[in-house]
Amino acid sequence: MQAIPLELRYVIPERGYEKFWEGLKKGEIWATKCKRCGSLYYPPQRDCPVCMTSELEWYRLSDRGELMTYTVVKAKPQGYEDREDYTIGIVRTEDGVDLMCWIKGVPRVGSKVRLGTDGDRVVGETA
Amino acid sequence: MKRRVGIIGVGVSKFGRRDDVTVRELAWESIREALEDAGLTQKDIDLVVAGSTAYRGVELYPAPPVSEYSSLLGKTPLRVEAACATGSAAAFTAVNSVASGSAEVVLAVGFDKMTEVDTPTSLAIGGRGGNYQWEFHMYGTTFPSYYALYATRHMAVYGTTEEDMALASVKAHKYASMNEKAHLRNRVTVEDVLKSRLISWPIKLLDSSPISDGSAAVIFASEEKIRELKVDTPVWIEGIGFGSDTSSIARRGEWTSLRAAREAAASAYSLSGRTPSDVEYATVHDCFTIAEIMAYEDLGFAERGKGATLLREGQTERGGRVAVNLLGGLKAKGHPLGATGLAMLYEVTKQLREEAGPVQHQFKNYVALTHNVGGTGHYAYVTVLSR
Ligand SMILES: [Zn+2]
Repeated sequence: MQAIPLELRYVIPERGYEKFWEGLKKGEIWATKCKRCGSLYYPPQRDCPVCMTSELEWYRLSDRGELMTYTVVKAKPQGYEDREDYTIGIVRTEDGVDLMCWIKGVPRVGSKVRLGTDGDRVVGETA
Repeated sequence: MKRRVGIIGVGVSKFGRRDDVTVRELAWESIREALEDAGLTQKDIDLVVAGSTAYRGVELYPAPPVSEYSSLLGKTPLRVEAACATGSAAAFTAVNSVASGSAEVVLAVGFDKMTEVDTPTSLAIGGRGGNYQWEFHMYGTTFPSYYALYATRHMAVYGTTEEDMALASVKAHKYASMNEKAHLRNRVTVEDVLKSRLISWPIKLLDSSPISDGSAAVIFASEEKIRELKVDTPVWIEGIGFGSDTSSIARRGEWTSLRAAREAAASAYSLSGRTPSDVEYATVHDCFTIAEIMAYEDLGFAERGKGATLLREGQTERGGRVAVNLLGGLKAKGHPLGATGLAMLYEVTKQLREEAGPVQHQFKNYVALTHNVGGTGHYAYVTVLSR
């Protein structure tokens, strides 16, 4: 028999991360850096658990990096069903930060990547 | 461990698309088998640890309905969860309850009814098996896509091929065809695997474990209780190692091996005083074929990057150097998340007792292990056992 559907409606906070979401609209990728110990956080964090401080500053990541690995998504999840196939990659930026992004262009492990955004996410273009 | 703990009863349900039962009957199938196997009744059980991820079934709080149906009331104060390692988390909790002296006889039961939602919903739940906001929300990750990131890097760094990965699937299906309780009992060829539908390149349908319903139950007891009950062939827990890792896959820093699994293995070997070459039988977490190859390396059965060699040489077949997953593995036996870790203990117990029928492996020293990964290496448990 059909069971009663469960529709979960979520609202999630953006507080403290406005800089990141605004940056995405402008093609910028922002991390946070602990003022005390220099730890770099991406995804950004408001707190540094290493030295127990909340004194962090925003740090703009380099737009250059190397493709470490990737996959082409064919079977898509709820929320992405209507999309064309997309390529998810992990890029190591020149700052040494590893981040997830979508890849445009032909993907190859080791290729140089130029990072930008499409307004909603980080996008890397292979050379 | 403060007190020695052994396994005295095991049970497993039929795995598959189980439209014929709700989660209550499904869990009872394995609970009943484990009680009968141990020659005990519910009265003999001090504590029940229920394990279920419970995100894909209508019962979001399934432990009370299962406990009520199985006449285990008053003994089931918790449900544990560690994604695909939920069954091992239940075993870990149960073993420690006995080892610490807070209980003498503990039943761990793991179950999940995963086919009550459709596949896109299931992919969306699995795709949250990392970090919702920074992965799924922005990039549409799926569970196969996470493992595909490992597969791509393993191929690029070590030269592992899609054919190598296919060998793990061929082996899994071969053994599942001999297991009446397996989900997928058809045999497949390397070509079938390579030609199967792409899910998240390089992972194809036949590189992937199915979405399964199932349950498994294991009864643990203290050494004292085992002597009192005069159990013929208890299977002893020599050590349970655990590990965990970042939610965000990008932050792992490496994508050819699971750090959590390596740490769990190192700890389990240290606790048991065993080495990889002592292990004669293993169950490894082959949710995708690349995961089996990485497991061989993370467990020390093969050098880093050489995992596929064991498959090519047939060293993990029955009669091989270390037999692996002779009931068909997650890939073909099926992978009901909450049940998997306990189904592994079921399998190893049957093997060590020499009750494994057509797939019985020949032991010299009766040493085996289970390797159970949660999420994409977010959690890991490695358990060394002996007879
Ligand atoms: Zn700091």
